[in-house]
Amino acid sequence: MDPRQEYIQNMTRRHFFGQTSLGLGTAALASLLPDPKPAAANVTTSQTGGRPDVPHFPPRAKRAIYLFMAGAPCQMDLFDYKPLMEKMFDKDLPESVRMGQRLTTMTSGQKRFPIAPSKFKFKQYGQSGAWISELLPYHAKMVDDICIIKTLHTEAINHDPAITYICTGHQLPGRPSLGAWLSYGLGSMNHNLPTFVVMTAKWSGRKQAQALYNRLWGSGFLPSKHAGVALRSQGDPVLFLSNPPGVDRTIRRRMLDTLARINERTFAEFANPETRSRIAQYEMAFRMQASVPELTDISGESKSTLEMYGPDVYKPGTFAASCLLARRMIERDVRFVQIFHRGWDQHGNVAGDLPKQCKDVDQPCWALIQDLKQRGLLDDTLVIWGGEFGRTIYCQGKLTRNNYGRDHHPRCFTIWMAGGGIKPGIVYGETDDFSYNIVENPVHIHDQNATILHCLGIDHRRLSVKFQGLDIRLTGVEDHGPVYDILA
Amino acid sequence: MTLTPTFRQLVGACATSLLLLGPSLTAQAEVDFNREVRPLLSDRCFKCHGPDEKHREGGFRLDQKESAFGTGDSGLPLIVPGKPEESELYVRISSSDPDVKMPPPDSGKTLTPEEIQTIRQWIAEGAKWEQHWAFVTPRRPRVPHVENSAWVRNPIDAFILARLEKEGLRPSPPADRVTLIRRVSLDLTGLPPTPEEVDAFVNDPRPDAYERLVDRLLNSPHYGEHMAHYWLDAARYGDTHGLHLDNYREMWAYRDWVIQAFNQNKPYDEFTIEQLAGDLLPNPTDDQLIATGFLRCHVTTNEGGSIVEEVYVRNVVDRVVTTATVFLGMTFDCSRCHDHKYDPFTMRDFYSTFAYFNSLDGSPMDGNRKDPPPVLKVLAPDQKATIAALRQRIDQTRKDIRTLLAGIRYVEPENPRPPKLAEPVDFVWIDDALPAGARPSGPWKFVSDPVHSGKKAHTQTAQQLDQHYFTGARKPLRIAEGDTLFAYVYLDPKNPPRQIMLQFNDGSWEHRAYWGENLIPWGQDGTPSRRRLGDLPEAGRWVRLDVPAQAVGLKPGSVLNGWAFTQFGGTVYWDTAGIRSQRDQNPTYDSFAQWLRDQQAANGAGLPEALRTLVAKDPAQRSEADNRRLLEYFLEYAYSGTRKQFAELHRRIEDAEKRIAAIEAQAATTLIFRERKDPKPAYILRRGEYDQRLEQVPRAVPAVLPPLPEGVPNNRLGWAKWLVSPEHPLTARVAVNRFWQQVFGIGIVKTAEDFGSQGEPPSHPRLLDWLAVEFRESGWNVKELMRLIVTSATYRQSSVVRPELLKRDPENRLLARGPRFRLDAEVLRDQALFVSGLLYDKLGGPSVKPPQPDGLWFAVGYSGSNTVRFKKDVGPDKVYRRTVYTFIKRTAPPPQLSTFDAPSREACMVRRERTNTPLQALLLLNDPQYFEAARAFAERVIREAGPDPERRIERMFRLALGRRPDVETLRDLLDLQQDLQAAYAANPGAARSTIAVGETPPDPNIPPVELASWTLVANTVLNMDELLNKN
Repeated sequence: MDPRQEYIQNMTRRHFFGQTSLGLGTAALASLLPDPKPAAANVTTSQTGGRPDVPHFPPRAKRAIYLFMAGAPCQMDLFDYKPLMEKMFDKDLPESVRMGQRLTTMTSGQKRFPIAPSKFKFKQYGQSGAWISELLPYHAKMVDDICIIKTLHTEAINHDPAITYICTGHQLPGRPSLGAWLSYGLGSMNHNLPTFVVMTAKWSGRKQAQALYNRLWGSGFLPSKHAGVALRSQGDPVLFLSNPPGVDRTIRRRMLDTLARINERTFAEFANPETRSRIAQYEMAFRMQASVPELTDISGESKSTLEMYGPDVYKPGTFAASCLLARRMIERDVRFVQIFHRGWDQHGNVAGDLPKQCKDVDQPCWALIQDLKQRGLLDDTLVIWGGEFGRTIYCQGKLTRNNYGRDHHPRCFTIWMAGGGIKPGIVYGETDDFSYNIVENPVHIHDQNATILHCLGIDHRRLSVKFQGLDIRLTGVEDHGPVYDILA
Repeated sequence: MTLTPTFRQLVGACATSLLLLGPSLTAQAEVDFNREVRPLLSDRCFKCHGPDEKHREGGFRLDQKESAFGTGDSGLPLIVPGKPEESELYVRISSSDPDVKMPPPDSGKTLTPEEIQTIRQWIAEGAKWEQHWAFVTPRRPRVPHVENSAWVRNPIDAFILARLEKEGLRPSPPADRVTLIRRVSLDLTGLPPTPEEVDAFVNDPRPDAYERLVDRLLNSPHYGEHMAHYWLDAARYGDTHGLHLDNYREMWAYRDWVIQAFNQNKPYDEFTIEQLAGDLLPNPTDDQLIATGFLRCHVTTNEGGSIVEEVYVRNVVDRVVTTATVFLGMTFDCSRCHDHKYDPFTMRDFYSTFAYFNSLDGSPMDGNRKDPPPVLKVLAPDQKATIAALRQRIDQTRKDIRTLLAGIRYVEPENPRPPKLAEPVDFVWIDDALPAGARPSGPWKFVSDPVHSGKKAHTQTAQQLDQHYFTGARKPLRIAEGDTLFAYVYLDPKNPPRQIMLQFNDGSWEHRAYWGENLIPWGQDGTPSRRRLGDLPEAGRWVRLDVPAQAVGLKPGSVLNGWAFTQFGGTVYWDTAGIRSQRDQNPTYDSFAQWLRDQQAANGAGLPEALRTLVAKDPAQRSEADNRRLLEYFLEYAYSGTRKQFAELHRRIEDAEKRIAAIEAQAATTLIFRERKDPKPAYILRRGEYDQRLEQVPRAVPAVLPPLPEGVPNNRLGWAKWLVSPEHPLTARVAVNRFWQQVFGIGIVKTAEDFGSQGEPPSHPRLLDWLAVEFRESGWNVKELMRLIVTSATYRQSSVVRPELLKRDPENRLLARGPRFRLDAEVLRDQALFVSGLLYDKLGGPSVKPPQPDGLWFAVGYSGSNTVRFKKDVGPDKVYRRTVYTFIKRTAPPPQLSTFDAPSREACMVRRERTNTPLQALLLLNDPQYFEAARAFAERVIREAGPDPERRIERMFRLALGRRPDVETLRDLLDLQQDLQAAYAANPGAARSTIAVGETPPDPNIPPVELASWTLVANTVLNMDELLNKN
């Protein structure tokens, strides 16, 4: 961080605590209780940290939720309806479609590339007339709330590079993640909770699932305070949040008061602003010990709200429970929430596993959008749903009418976006009859990330950091930009 | 316009902080090209008028003097020394016409009026041009003259003070001895001093007391441990592969090599050469091979579907980019896809360097194994001695065999009996050890209970699919008609598997038999490649599994060299495996002629390759020597008259081989670099893409740097020697800068990873050069360099921030005060363990897993990964070790490290950020290991200081900080202890819970209420800002 900014921040903190250690005591006393939480989004919270030049223009969204479907969902079984494929069952994918494109070595040795039409039924819904598969009945109900983009594309064809690419803008480890960029650029709106929170949800498809990596929410070369904080469903929700057994809140407060007094003396001796900053961090830690349990306690949620998310909402760690927590965080002005749901890598047994995966997420996604809408939060909260690439129309492994598998496909896949800054009720982009190539309005993953930044008031070209001699940014060096057609 | 100092300060405030401190605080000072002008040209102009030919506009480049002083396409002179108004460069940057103005408005780059003024002044002053400083070989500069020469202890101080005097600043007074010994102990060993060490130093009246202290610290074995953690960041050392499955990777021997290298004070040039090319040195030692692990530390993958060529290119690029960052301080990666936009490196330079590093003798894919070749077995000295003795015994026995053979006079019998066939008999191939020559999949886990035969059985516990196997047995198993393979198995009744499988390798693994469920997907079910032979055997006892060879597609004459024991879930023990053969594996003959006929009929199956060829030869073509060899083989292995004699000798050899194999199978391995026999060609890759080959390029060093020295080979070894050649402008500077950064928090060049024109210019360029030359001329002596730095007056200053310094120099670049900053992750944890007395002081060995919260690996891990579940180690020799030995799973590194800005080790990192967050506070307050350290610390002071609370607190302070507490702090802590004692007395159950945290039980001799209250006092002390910082 720029030392000057750090210094200015220290000055602000000093004001917060007052100029004397007496002032500190008062602040410490206040922190015994969690900050009164904002009941609704329109409560203004002050913003701290962040870059002075950001936002670059008035944002349409103040916060965002990214529902990440790790493993790559089958677009042609969910959103990208391809009726002509029915007649081409078990026919070879025409060479004119494949165009010699590189394949993963899992299927490049296959003698044939037989077409596997989706076995699932599709219907059109809503004003937009979007086609939705029978696997997503709740999505069918909300097509007019969301913008479906069928033409995402990427270059990576394997999970690790692809998911690292879409989450950090680079296929190799070492770069800051989307959330870290947002934290760095926009700063925090809540003094009691982390700026960027990550949840990893349970899944119901086959247990052997693709890995995630801490780097997907890491800070790369940015300071580690911008890294996503994992909110866990096991043990402490935030690492080391709980006091050790036998140490209650009063004892901790008593101990922290002594610690603060000693640290104030250290500050008096060395006059190093970092010492003041450390005192403030300990106070924030203490406040988090109250605000995080308050956040994860859903006992105050109404029955109708809970029912909206479905029965899984009562099981900690499920996608439904995570979505509800996401809404509670958004309410408390957490800047960015990302939920990773694994198990979407259907190389085989699409018929068995895909319905289970869909059941995990379908209703909670719908509930999240409705819940945000009802609370007036959807207007300035951006929601993104999607994976790291798509899947092939041709079958991997054994093909029957009732079951099949699909390999990785980088040339097109479907995501949806909703909320702050996004036109609702549209379907954007078109793929060919095979859901193989894009015929209209391609959207590169960098374009997607540029769009997300844009909604949050950031010009993706200007949010850059000098590292190893380069101006590094999330969206790379090539010419990419927001998809203006889908912006409200 | 004239510049007032205030105005220049504003300029600085808009640009980098360094400019604020630049030498040009006065308006009279001449503009310094390298410091003030080149960075502007680089940042705002080079993108279109720089080294990158493809994107060059206007036909000129501003990174090269000739072109910059030429005319470009326009024909107008760009820079006319002394005449800004006639210089097209100035005319364009100062224009207000958007069509003329540079940089163009749509470029997103602008020059501020002050920056334009700087360029104007530079032209007006004659436009003096210098090459970018970092590409000029450093010469030892004259040590500057200073007013206050009494302050100077060594030349470092003269350079620092000269600058301070120019800025009108005074250095700070020296730090007191207690502060100083803690500072230097932490800087050189990563551990604080003990109170006894503090007293010894404080009371040492000798004038060189401090120098003696520094000597002691430099000779401590903890010096190497501390120095290593910075180097391991740069080398991106980790304990897993880092990508996809992120399985275990075994290369801790490299980590230990780094520690040893620092402890032995290996000269930095050797340190460099051995890591980059140890394998190419003449007769490399094991240590020199282990050093090449530097080139293997990069992340690797074995993800299904990966394209091998793509992975190969990525691996090599990582090697090249890391090497360039660590040794050259250059951002070489830029020139992978296009010519560098700021520094004079072309794509050709990049791929010519690539050509030195691309010829690894091994697959780019890691096979998800801990030891993707090439690897070295890491043997302890006693193991090496045992193996050498066994090898000698084998050689001697072979000689005995030769002697014996030479003495036999064989006569063909007249009426030979037919060959004697044995009864069907079990031939055991695998028992307490693997067959001789077998290459195991990893260390096999042998146990002594339960056992079926011999002394040991081997076992495995799996979450899901797992196996252990070997290939390459030197004496293979021959399959004959009707043979049955067998193995004994014992399933753990408490944790039975869901499926077990045996696999046999006759060149392919497509011979599988299984029992139980059908979960292992290899081969095709119902065929010899996956044949079900029944339900799981009864658990809790040894059961013999029989596999008819035919059922798994092994035809008579097949020869097995490998065997795999595979399971899905559960705990399984295996023992006594081999073949039940209808025929003796080696029938006995009376007659050589008959034996030879039988061998010919069987095409020599089972004979060594060389003999098979001889058997196949037309008898008329066989030479005398050929016949002798066949006869000798016959005498040794088949002749009824002599076989017994030889069998004894063979057994001796086999026994020795098995013992060697057993030692080697248990030995750790480490990844090393070994060059292929025929180097791979290298190509320029369009946009850096693996499949877009352009021209082939030979090995060559970047054109802007000096050529390879005379007489070195044009390979990696030559490249490494080139790095440390005296003319090289970068290596020494980059190295000393990192050591400086380690001690002062910020390097003389702040961007330690980038010495190019986009990096920050050095704060003290002459000091950097002086140190670089001194370092090189000292014989690259790292300890001497560290000594020089920490014995300087600069280093010994008090770190109190005077108010004027906070304004003038918040980052402490001028060093008018001593360094003070938060300790690194490793030092924080080691310090807590050390002061509490928990630290288990042992050097080296396999990485350890101290406790961490449950589920961190499982939350992200691939289900089939062998690091998907974290299992903490037990025992003080594992959980209380120094943090440099902590196991790093790169996709989910330990929070005790990552929370404090330690990198994940997925990519090279030569400079850590230093943040201050609430998550750090939570960890230091509540992490069970830190909290246990607080309890142990409390127990320690209660034991050592007796019952008096004041003396306890005093002891605590002495142990933690070396100093005694001030009166107010003592009072505060006493009050705290009393309050807590009262609180816990009211709730003794809470006290018992508080002290129960940790790996070891609390001291039963201390009443729980008392111990709990003191634990919280210790927890307070261990969280003091003063303790978390180097002061």
